[in-house]
Amino acid sequence: MLFQLENVTKTYGAVTALNNLSVAVPSGAVGLLGPNGSGKTTMIRTLLGLIPVDTGSGSILDLDFRSQQLNIRRLVGFAPEDECLFPRVPSVEFVAYAGELVGMSTKDALQRSHEVLDYVGLGEARYRQVESYSTGMKQRLKLASAIVHDPKLLILDEPTNGMDPAGRDEILQLARDLAHNKGMSLVFSSHLLPDVESVCEHVIVLGAGKLLAEGKISELKQVHRHRYEVRLKAEPGVFAGRLQALGCLVDYRDDLLLVQVPDGETQQMIWRAAAENREQIRSLRPQRSTLEEVFLKAVEHA
Amino acid sequence: MPIFDQGYQHWSGTLSSHSMRWWAITRHGVRVGLRSWIVRIALLLSWIPAGFLAFFLSIWGLLERKSELVAPLLPLLGFLDPAVLENPQNYRVEFWTLCFDQFLAFELFFSMVMVLIIGPSLISQDLRFNAMPLYFSRPMRRIDYFVGKLGIIAAFLGLVLVVPSLMAYVLGLLFSLDLTILRDTLLLLLSCIAYGVVIVLSAGTLMLALSSLSRNSRFVALFWLGLWFVSSIVGAVLKTVDTEQRRHAHFRRVYEAENAEPMAIPTNRDEQRQQQQARREQRRNIEEEFSANELKSAKSNWRPLLSYAGNLSRIGQALLNTDASWRRLAESRPENNRQRFMLENMGPQYPWYWSAITLAGLFGLSVVVLNFRIRSLDRLK
Amino acid sequence: MKPIVVFHEVSKWYGNVIGINKLSISIPAGVTGLLGPNGAGKSTLLQLATGQLCPSQGSVRVLEQEVWNNPGLNRYIGLCPEQDAFYEWMTGLDFVQTCARLSGMNQSASKEAAERAIYSVGMTKNSRRAIRGYSKGMRQRIKLAQALVHDPEVLFLDEPLTGTDPVARRDLMDIVLRLGAGGKSVLVSSHVLHEVQSLTPNIILLNRGRLLAEGHVRQIRELIDKHPHQIVLICDEYRKLAGRVLAWDDVESVRVMPRERGVTVETRSPDAFYQRLPALALEPGLALNEVYSDDDNLEAVFKYLVNA
Repeated sequence: MLFQLENVTKTYGAVTALNNLSVAVPSGAVGLLGPNGSGKTTMIRTLLGLIPVDTGSGSILDLDFRSQQLNIRRLVGFAPEDECLFPRVPSVEFVAYAGELVGMSTKDALQRSHEVLDYVGLGEARYRQVESYSTGMKQRLKLASAIVHDPKLLILDEPTNGMDPAGRDEILQLARDLAHNKGMSLVFSSHLLPDVESVCEHVIVLGAGKLLAEGKISELKQVHRHRYEVRLKAEPGVFAGRLQALGCLVDYRDDLLLVQVPDGETQQMIWRAAAENREQIRSLRPQRSTLEEVFLKAVEHA
Repeated sequence: MPIFDQGYQHWSGTLSSHSMRWWAITRHGVRVGLRSWIVRIALLLSWIPAGFLAFFLSIWGLLERKSELVAPLLPLLGFLDPAVLENPQNYRVEFWTLCFDQFLAFELFFSMVMVLIIGPSLISQDLRFNAMPLYFSRPMRRIDYFVGKLGIIAAFLGLVLVVPSLMAYVLGLLFSLDLTILRDTLLLLLSCIAYGVVIVLSAGTLMLALSSLSRNSRFVALFWLGLWFVSSIVGAVLKTVDTEQRRHAHFRRVYEAENAEPMAIPTNRDEQRQQQQARREQRRNIEEEFSANELKSAKSNWRPLLSYAGNLSRIGQALLNTDASWRRLAESRPENNRQRFMLENMGPQYPWYWSAITLAGLFGLSVVVLNFRIRSLDRLK
Repeated sequence: MKPIVVFHEVSKWYGNVIGINKLSISIPAGVTGLLGPNGAGKSTLLQLATGQLCPSQGSVRVLEQEVWNNPGLNRYIGLCPEQDAFYEWMTGLDFVQTCARLSGMNQSASKEAAERAIYSVGMTKNSRRAIRGYSKGMRQRIKLAQALVHDPEVLFLDEPLTGTDPVARRDLMDIVLRLGAGGKSVLVSSHVLHEVQSLTPNIILLNRGRLLAEGHVRQIRELIDKHPHQIVLICDEYRKLAGRVLAWDDVESVRVMPRERGVTVETRSPDAFYQRLPALALEPGLALNEVYSDDDNLEAVFKYLVNA
């Protein structure tokens, strides 16, 4: 188990941030989703042992978060959402200092800092001051300072916020590499669902301090049998009519046709219709709910 | 394996115990601080008084040994009482105390300047660049953070105050070649160090509290300057106003005394001289009375409390016991000049624990402010 | 379609640094996406279009009038900027109402317009709280409300969806789509490609201050013939399929994907390739379960063009 919470409640005055929350998550890469104000930040702080909770218990990496808070933070790396720096130092020193603050000796921290900066791709710029970095570089620097002490769990809070597509790709690639190849568990909190999908296998959805949904992404995204998404080269109107004449139910979404073939038939029916009518099919896929649909449905049901 | 993995490696070293976490902050802060050339120049300047102190102590040491090296300087030392020059050993403690006292007055100034240079950015920069999540997501508590930052101030003030004191002491010792000095003046050295500790605790926490109040280090620096100068000025002004009232009354009495009885017009030069001497004598007596009264009322004069630096130096005065030294020196003064001598040279006379309470109050206030401003991450964003 | 925003040979430099380099585009009505890596000139373009900057060269016209030094035109332009700069003590309603008054409405009209705008962004419940306490998503909504309050013809949105959770994102995207369908002109600048893709297929791609591509995503894709199209075919008999497909002339390479039970085909003539697919699918044993192209989206187009 990566972490588990049992009946955890945390209130700030009148606001209930976590409401009797119970969740158990296996190791690996898990996405943390939820609307604003759902308690994601509070849960992260609870996992880091930073805040006392009103009631409930739980453990992270088999350490009780009520009594072993400092030990937890030795094993956990955290890359917060907002920009944060120790100013006026070159980035090698920045990362080394971050390591020293966890308890590494100066030599260890410096050596490790170089290694980690190479890994995240900032090797060229490592002697420059951190204030001079671009947004993408600062995000990677944040990531580097979070993994300098080789944590078992890495918590990323909105790591791709405000980054351009190239930068986002790099961060996601690093996250994937760490989670899949290097055996580091990951908690990925983000609003950008495609990012979460590309990195995590498991996902938790929070809402108003409660757990709304959790599970493997591949299981949550159900495949609808007999339902296909079809995109044509030409305008879909005519072809849709033909399919309906053959007994299919046809619906439109954006520029896609949602076709439900009658029982007993397969997608071959659609190919046949296309061949007969000389239509060019550009895309044909079984309909799967996207993670966004899963999310929105979970939030609506709450 | 001939080809080595260039990617991410795992690390399995040991992590130090949690109690040393503040040391990382202090070490880093000192390293960053020493990079600035302003700091380095300030440090060098602050060591100059130490040089002078060492010089004077050495002269005294030579004087004690009645060595010939000092002979050419003897005329310059004429301002000292002959009793002192004849038997320097008796006055050793007093001399050393007063030299150190003057030295520490300079170093208090340099300490405040050093705190002004390195202090403001300590917490305000962390706030400005939002470094708090980086600190507190690591195994560290707030107390470690504060102690670490205070350690930076302590390190620099140590370089300004403690190290020069030690070195000057050792030099003075060497020049005297007399180990009995150690017995006499070791307490003095310890008092110096204690004074340093008091300054670090008081000025350090005050500066940290100020630094945590703003994100802009310049404002904090200005506030510190303001606190330092304005409080000194206010204290001095109030004291002067108060003293002037009494001095005014005193001069009125002198005037009245002189013109109370009509003077006989002197007939010859001798009588004139006698008259003038009598008048001078009278004036001096009244002056002496005035000084005695001043000294007495100074015991309850609270006005110097308003100056922050004044409070610190009052504690120093108490620690080094300079009052006793001045009293002893005053004994070798003529009878009717003693009180005035003491009034002119001794510092404020109010009880030292008033200053201690004031400083303790400021310390408490600073701790409260720090506690309030740096609330770790347990709050609703 | 009459172009709403027209840039004609516009350049803007700051000292030696060039922000926009001889840009000529016309933006029609409807929703258009403005894309580009960091430093491409997107913010400069938006600032030029709203009259905040004067072009060093060339002319910028919106609704057929010069924008620079034309405050009257601001009546028809709405800007939702990227920065978060509010009067934190005001309530949301106050703020939007103030903006309405600034564009010339009187007291009662501005209150009504403000309430309408706030309703349309879904902030009515929270509009009477001070902005200081708003979450990021709420701030974005209020920003959009103030851009809409005076019912402008042209809207410029700079990163309108950053920091918003998927629920807010859906709502805001619906608003934008509605505006576009209603005949307004909306220019959305964003980094998040899949969001832009859900909003509109018409894009403007900038890189290093110059125009890189403009038009419908798929048309642009088809014009990029430097990179062959990659089409994925999922079929039970994928190896047999691979063999069949290799026989075609326009196929450059075939990559087998055993885990997905399919093949990725690279071809320089996608049109011809797709034309042959239905017949291929009906051949015995070669039933195609899935056909899709990873290229058929904005992300791929962006990557090819920018990294070229």
